[in-house]
Amino acid sequence: MVLVLILLPMVAGCALFALPRTDRAISCITGCAVAALTFALPLVAGNDGTFAVRWLSRPFTASLHFAWSGVSLWLVLLLALCTFCAILATNMAAQSRTMIALLLLLEGTMMGVFTARDVLAFALFWDLMLIPPFFALVEWGAHRDTAWRFIIYNFSGGLTLLLATAAFGILSGSTDVIGSTHQFAGAWAPWIFAGFAFAFAVKTPLWPLHTWMPVTYAETPPPMVAVISAVQSKAGVYGFIVIALPFLRSAMVEWRWLIVALALVSLLYGAFIALTQTDGKRIVAYSSLSHLGLIVLAIASLNPIAVQGAIVYIVAHGLFSAALFLILGYIEEREETRSILDLGGLGKNNPKLAGAFTIAALAALGLPGLAGFAGEIVILTGVFRAGYFWPALIALVPIVIASAYMLRLLQDAINGPEVAVLPKRRDLTLIEGLAIAPLLAALLVLGIYPHAILTTVLR
Amino acid sequence: MPNFITQNDWLAVLPLLIVGGGALVVLLVDLVWPKHAPRYVSIAIGLAVLIAAGAFAATTYGRNYNAFNGGFVLGGFAVVFQEIIIVSAIVSLALFGAFGRADRIAGITALLLWSTSGAMLMAGAANLMTIFLGLELLSLALYCLCGLADRPTSQESALKYLILSSTASGFLLFGMALLFGATGTVTLASLASPGLISNPLYWLGGGFFLAGMAFKLSLMPFHIWSPDVYEGAPLPVTAFMSVATKAGTLAVFARFAYVLPAGNKMLLPFFVIAGISMIGGNLAMLAQTDLKRLLAYSGIAQAGYMVAALAGASALGVRYAIYYLAAYMFMNLGAFAVIALLSSEREEGAQVAAFRGLAQRRPVLAAAMSFFLLALAGFPPTAGFLGKILILSANVNAGYAWLAALLIAGTAISLYAYFKVIRVMYDPHDQPVQTVRARAPLAYAAVAFCALFVLAMTFYPLTPSNVLPLAR
Repeated sequence: MVLVLILLPMVAGCALFALPRTDRAISCITGCAVAALTFALPLVAGNDGTFAVRWLSRPFTASLHFAWSGVSLWLVLLLALCTFCAILATNMAAQSRTMIALLLLLEGTMMGVFTARDVLAFALFWDLMLIPPFFALVEWGAHRDTAWRFIIYNFSGGLTLLLATAAFGILSGSTDVIGSTHQFAGAWAPWIFAGFAFAFAVKTPLWPLHTWMPVTYAETPPPMVAVISAVQSKAGVYGFIVIALPFLRSAMVEWRWLIVALALVSLLYGAFIALTQTDGKRIVAYSSLSHLGLIVLAIASLNPIAVQGAIVYIVAHGLFSAALFLILGYIEEREETRSILDLGGLGKNNPKLAGAFTIAALAALGLPGLAGFAGEIVILTGVFRAGYFWPALIALVPIVIASAYMLRLLQDAINGPEVAVLPKRRDLTLIEGLAIAPLLAALLVLGIYPHAILTTVLR
Repeated sequence: MPNFITQNDWLAVLPLLIVGGGALVVLLVDLVWPKHAPRYVSIAIGLAVLIAAGAFAATTYGRNYNAFNGGFVLGGFAVVFQEIIIVSAIVSLALFGAFGRADRIAGITALLLWSTSGAMLMAGAANLMTIFLGLELLSLALYCLCGLADRPTSQESALKYLILSSTASGFLLFGMALLFGATGTVTLASLASPGLISNPLYWLGGGFFLAGMAFKLSLMPFHIWSPDVYEGAPLPVTAFMSVATKAGTLAVFARFAYVLPAGNKMLLPFFVIAGISMIGGNLAMLAQTDLKRLLAYSGIAQAGYMVAALAGASALGVRYAIYYLAAYMFMNLGAFAVIALLSSEREEGAQVAAFRGLAQRRPVLAAAMSFFLLALAGFPPTAGFLGKILILSANVNAGYAWLAALLIAGTAISLYAYFKVIRVMYDPHDQPVQTVRARAPLAYAAVAFCALFVLAMTFYPLTPSNVLPLAR
């Protein structure tokens, strides 16, 4: 069953390349159907869809082992939902087919990352998920450097992941361990943890390994960046939760102050830089750096409540960052600028666009009743409980600053005086609205009932 | 020694005899044909001969021949090396369907077959005499092949290869003589005895011998010849040379590592050289603008990976070296096949710039080339990815974690070079420059064949263990 989640999007993605370059309708319908199917399958299948076959027996045992139970389920659903919305929102001049095909390939590879129960299979899909964004940056990136930064940073992480996986496999005898109670300790454990942690920290990203991220997010087209920031960046924190936390706990305890420190720096640095940016996509990109710092802080506190909060926040951040990037994409498409200095008063003529933007931005700044708040409050409770008084206190500062930069974005783009030079544009079309609605609805539902996620993880 | 050469001895070398004899058939057909034999007749005979030899060699798998008093050992991994060499010859010959002057094809085919038989001899060579015999047979035919294109660079390449390679052979021979003088034996198994370590003559001879071998494997710092020779030689010859010489030399080396007692540090200098090759080869690759040179430097680094797999001299390491060699063969030959499809007789297609906008003109070829380059860089789901994992595990297992770390560093450096080519093909800002060669069905078949194997080998351990016993 779980193989369908991985292979169907990849096969469909490859098949789309047979269509003419300019096609939009067929690609969009196929893509949405595939994404909807991958969303529905785990919900209706009623089991964990396990697929397992022995891959290597020497030098260590490894399996092609996939399942969608536990934390994986929420990431699978988030990925399928974001892909669906991104495909629906795709409207690139004469290039929609290529974008939708890349989005499907990205979905299939990331499904592999989130459902892998074997560290080697995880590493395989980890490297694979870097390729679609690279091609998107080659095709649409504004600067030649951006694609290089993305691939060299991230694949270097992939390589340390590979080395750590090989060492982990040799020393523990098997890599088929995700979801088991396997424990790994010994003289090599800190080094193996360092290998994994480097890969995860680059992907998340954590300060000071984040320098590829703002340019990548700013230059990748909106549908792709919605999926990358909402879901692909979660692969890093997901790795911390399912690999580092259970198996390398002793090493993680040893390194935890470093991780806490880096997470706090990311939190503060991201928030302060977001205050100074004028490019809408960059504001959201730096806010992501800050928000993911909070998730890493929660994981590094090693407190179970904080980790549960982290999972709620992973989903919440996925939903609102996807919504924000898609809406910024709409604005850019209409006004041909992303700079908040050139925008203003959009809300007057575009009430639907303004409404959607406001909900997403409020979720991002942690308004109670929306999913972002639910995640933040559980995380902070857990971090306090773990005895990290000062880190929890410091983490409150960027949460306050988040209100400042998000409201500034809202104020300058949606409200405020109308900029006269901007011609009047049409409001959101039905399809554009439909692409945002599921994300906003999910934000509201999970904000009121975060219990849905908390209980699933508890089991 | 009542029976000087037994029937078993003949059976052991029969695949070689088929290949070597087949070359004569090709020449005879060319002779009796009015004017010259058509291109595809020579190539067809060559392919048939190679397939027959490959099929016969496959039947000897698992049988132990200790032919010619231990000079030629068959059974176990020698057969796998022979198959690798035969497949690389088949693909290279297929590329000649689009290259070379038609009146020379018979000669080219014959030389390629002789060269193949030399490499096959090295695969089973278990004493110094057979090693040298195989090496010279391989190299002499290659000197001629390198000079066969009507370009000054081709003749330059042949001369360079002749002079430098002969010098290396001289070192090798001198080393062999010293080894024999120090030990009184020429068989590899007795040369690997740890009791000889105190003898300085043994070390001197061993050093010369290893330097000669490192030259043939194009490991740094003995690599100077390879980019120039690769660049000048006709493209199919470069493809063949990049795999066959490595396969033959690696077989000798693997045999030596295999008979060493486990944990022996005797080969440490060789692994240091492998480490230098990984870093140096990949660094030099960054600056290349000619694809043949780029792949030459890539080959230097990849040879480093293969030798690294042997660190620790475990049976597992030998297996992984062979796995990686097979993987390298398919990725590398696949890439050469795509280049061949884009080159004219003058071979401007080897310039990276000639790949500009290929994705718009020939999306399938661009995708295939990207696939092979990603495989060489170690991206999944390719044999290059699994091969790297296996080598890393072998190194960690044998206590050579530093070698594993160098491999990772080298791969990280190589990314830019491989992705540079991919980027040129897909960048919409680059204008397409050149058309593709019209008719070369064999080369297209070679691309598909290599791509299939690069993909399938990632999952080869999934097959029942008796289907693809790549190494034992």
